[in-house]
Order: sequence, then structure tokens, then C-alpha cells
Amino acid sequence: MDNFSDDMIVCRCEEVTVADIKRAVKEGARDIVGVKRRVRAGMGLCQGRICEKLVQQILCAELGLKPDQVGSASARPPVRPVSFGELAEGVVE
Amino acid sequence: MKTYDAVVIGAGAIGTSVAYHLSRDGMKVALLDHGDIAGGSSSHCDAVALICDKEPGIDTTMGQASIDLYKKYADQFDYDFEYDAKGCLYVCETEPEMVAAERYAVSQQANGYPLRMVDNKELCEMEPYIAKDLAGGLYTPPSGAVSVCPYKVCFAFTEEGKKLGLDVYTYCTINAVHLNPADHSVESVDTSYGTLRTKRIINCAGVWAPDIGKLAGVPIPIQPRKGMNLISEKVSKIVNHKLLEFGYMMSKFDDIKFKRNVSPLVEEYNVAFNLEYTKASNLLVGGYRGFRGFDIRSEVEAMKAISERAMRFYPCLKDIQCIRSYAGVRPYVSDHLPIVSDVDEVPGFYIAAGHEGDGICFSPITGLLMSQILAEKKTDFDISPLDYARFTAGKK
Repeated sequence: MDNFSDDMIVCRCEEVTVADIKRAVKEGARDIVGVKRRVRAGMGLCQGRICEKLVQQILCAELGLKPDQVGSASARPPVRPVSFGELAEGVVE
Repeated sequence: MKTYDAVVIGAGAIGTSVAYHLSRDGMKVALLDHGDIAGGSSSHCDAVALICDKEPGIDTTMGQASIDLYKKYADQFDYDFEYDAKGCLYVCETEPEMVAAERYAVSQQANGYPLRMVDNKELCEMEPYIAKDLAGGLYTPPSGAVSVCPYKVCFAFTEEGKKLGLDVYTYCTINAVHLNPADHSVESVDTSYGTLRTKRIINCAGVWAPDIGKLAGVPIPIQPRKGMNLISEKVSKIVNHKLLEFGYMMSKFDDIKFKRNVSPLVEEYNVAFNLEYTKASNLLVGGYRGFRGFDIRSEVEAMKAISERAMRFYPCLKDIQCIRSYAGVRPYVSDHLPIVSDVDEVPGFYIAAGHEGDGICFSPITGLLMSQILAEKKTDFDISPLDYARFTAGKK
């Protein structure tokens, strides 16, 4: 954590920095979803695949919590981006 | 023991607004939620406040009053809740839908609302990427159709309320409501933060309002009704207005009355097209409603049906990526009107819940009306249809 400067980008898709996440915590966020809703970390194309563990670390450090106490983002399909055309025509197995 | 003039339970679009408006009146208010601010329905919904999806009468009156308040608060508040007066198009696929839409437009025009019909040509000019073979649409100008970011509305009311002395208790378990044994009036609330003494509780817990009602012996007939939407990757601005298919108006109610030329899957999931472009450059694509209890998992069949229906109206979606689906529950009341009311049986217990899909739209006006009820002032307009007593009449 010591090498996380405030201007470091955590969520690349939405360009969210360490400082943004600290601000979300100050505004009352206590978990991954709370951070996401306040500053958009994890809302982009990769849906938090890259940043979720980093957000988790920052949350734990800021709040003195363990990883399992800050939860994870809700799992939602699609697993990876898929076009609306493929979605409409695809076969559900 | 802490003492409050009012304790508001539920920190969604309704509770945060009620807490803000009461604080503005000079009351000492506590806002309680079992989770985070905007952790329930208000972060699992879409983003618009419209008059054109309402029945003429109190629905539309509340919608317009709320839209006017959103405009005012967008200027006044420091917290940006992404107010965007974008206007709305109800798209009609066929001539019979145009006829029904026109009838609706005339009834709203009679009450002074500036809705008007647009033909195929004008529709295609207003939305260059829309399917070219549609009959036309019903247009509502920005004065009657705005969008906001629903969870940011909750944060905005909370942050503005805090400036006025509002106390916020999130991740708060509510264990009991104590009533005066003599007259059943509200005395206190037991919470995981201790006992809060108060003479007024406002139950704004939406789909969870029945649980809070039970603690005070007040049965509340609200059921969870599921809604689901899809989110696209970031794209350039290919949608100018809030778009819905005219059949959506009917799907809000019991079923789609117009017999549409749709696949069995679209029919089965009661899917009606709606589409909007967000400030973050994503598209929200909807939607479907159904009764599934509190199960808010995404349904793959519904995703298929939503995509299929959306491409009928917006063919270019075919090659745009969907990055996420989401679903939530709306607080459904069988007569489609919210409960904004005191409760005769329990003095000091109030309900502001049951807004179903109109919670975001009705958020500001519900907070204002509740502050008028608590101040025992005359409300801005007659809200007797929203009275809780409509469920208890005849049972006494």
C-alpha cells in the first residue's frame, strides 16, 4: 500500500484513482459495491476484473477490514462483452 | 439515549428525499438503512422522470411537480446527480398504436401538458439511428421528461441533508419499534446503534416496508416486482432522447394490451423496448418486469428477449457490445399508486413507499409532501388517493 500514490489509476476502464477511492470511503462506502456506485470503479468494459482486488486492498487498508468483509461486486452476465446481435440470436444452453 | 424529531427508515430515493425535506424544515432527523445508501431498488433501476408514462390525474401531477423540483435542486445542490432534460419519445410501431397514443396525448394536452405526435419523417430526424419503418411517436419535450442518476439522487439528498444536521446510520439493523401502550403512538426504535427516541417514524423501506410495518403492527401490501436492464459498452451519442415503445406504458400496468407482432420469447417475458444514453456514454437497454419474489439474478432468456426487441427499434445495436445486465425489485402496490400517508391506528407512524417504477420520478415530490404532512400543513395538491386508509377501509 505504501507505494500506492493518490494519483495512481486503479480502474483503467473508468480512470478512477486511489484518491477517488479514498474519497468514496470518506463518503460512506464500506465495500466494493459502495465504491463502485460512488466513483465508478469496476463499471467499465472489464467489469472490475482488473481493479477489484486493488480496490479491495485499498478498502481494507482504509477501514482496517479483512478482504472477506468488503465483499465483491455482484456477478452478472455476460461473462465477457457480447454483442446485442449475438445475444438475441444465441442459443441458451 | 438519542432523541430525534423524526426517524426515516430506508435510504433509497424516497427515504433520502424525505430525510432531506424534513431536515430543511428544521427537524432533527435520523436516516437509517440496513445497508448502504441506495443499496436496494434505487441502484437497480433506470434513470428517468417522465410525465408521459403516467395516467392523467394525480400520477401526472406528481410527475410534473417532481420534474420541476429536480430542475430546481440541480441548480441548488452541490452534489451533481446528473440531471439531464432530454425529452422523451414513445415510439409507435404501427398505426393502431399511433391512434391510441394520440388519444393519450389529447387527454394530457387537455390538462395543459405539451405532448404532441410526430410522424415517421420527424421521428427519423430526431433519432437518426432509429428503424426507418416505424409509424411515428409521441413526443414529450424536456419540460416533462428528464433523466437523473438514481443512486446519485440518493447521495445528493443525503449529502445536502447532512449540511442541515441530518444524522445517517447505514448498515443499521432495526430490531424493534416501541409504541406507547395507552394510545399506540410511536415512542422509540431499537437499532444496532442503540435506542433512538422519537415520536415520528417514516417508513420509506420500499419493498422492505412490510418488514418495518410488522414491527409497529401495521400490515403493508407491497410486493417485490422484478425489473431488468442491459448496459452497453461506451459508444458515441447515438440516442438523443429517452426512447420507449408505446406498449411499455401498458406493460407497466398488468399486461401489454396491444397485440404486438413479437416473438413468443418477447411475449413471455413481457419485454418492452426502452433505451437511453447516459452521461457516462453507456446505453441502458430495457426492459422486462416480472414477479420473482426477491430473486434479482439476471435471467439469460430475458437478456435475449430484451436484445431482440431493442434491435427491432434500433438495428445498429446488433454490433454494439453488451457489458452487463442488472436486475432489481420495485415496490409494487396492486392499484399502482404509492402510499404517502399517516397511519390512523399508530399515531406518529408514516409510510412513503410502494412507488414501483416511479420511485425515482416521484422522489422529490414525495419528500416535499411528507414534510407537509408532518408539519400538518395543507399539501400542494389533494393526495387522498395515496392514503394508507384505502387498504384498511371496511375492515374496521
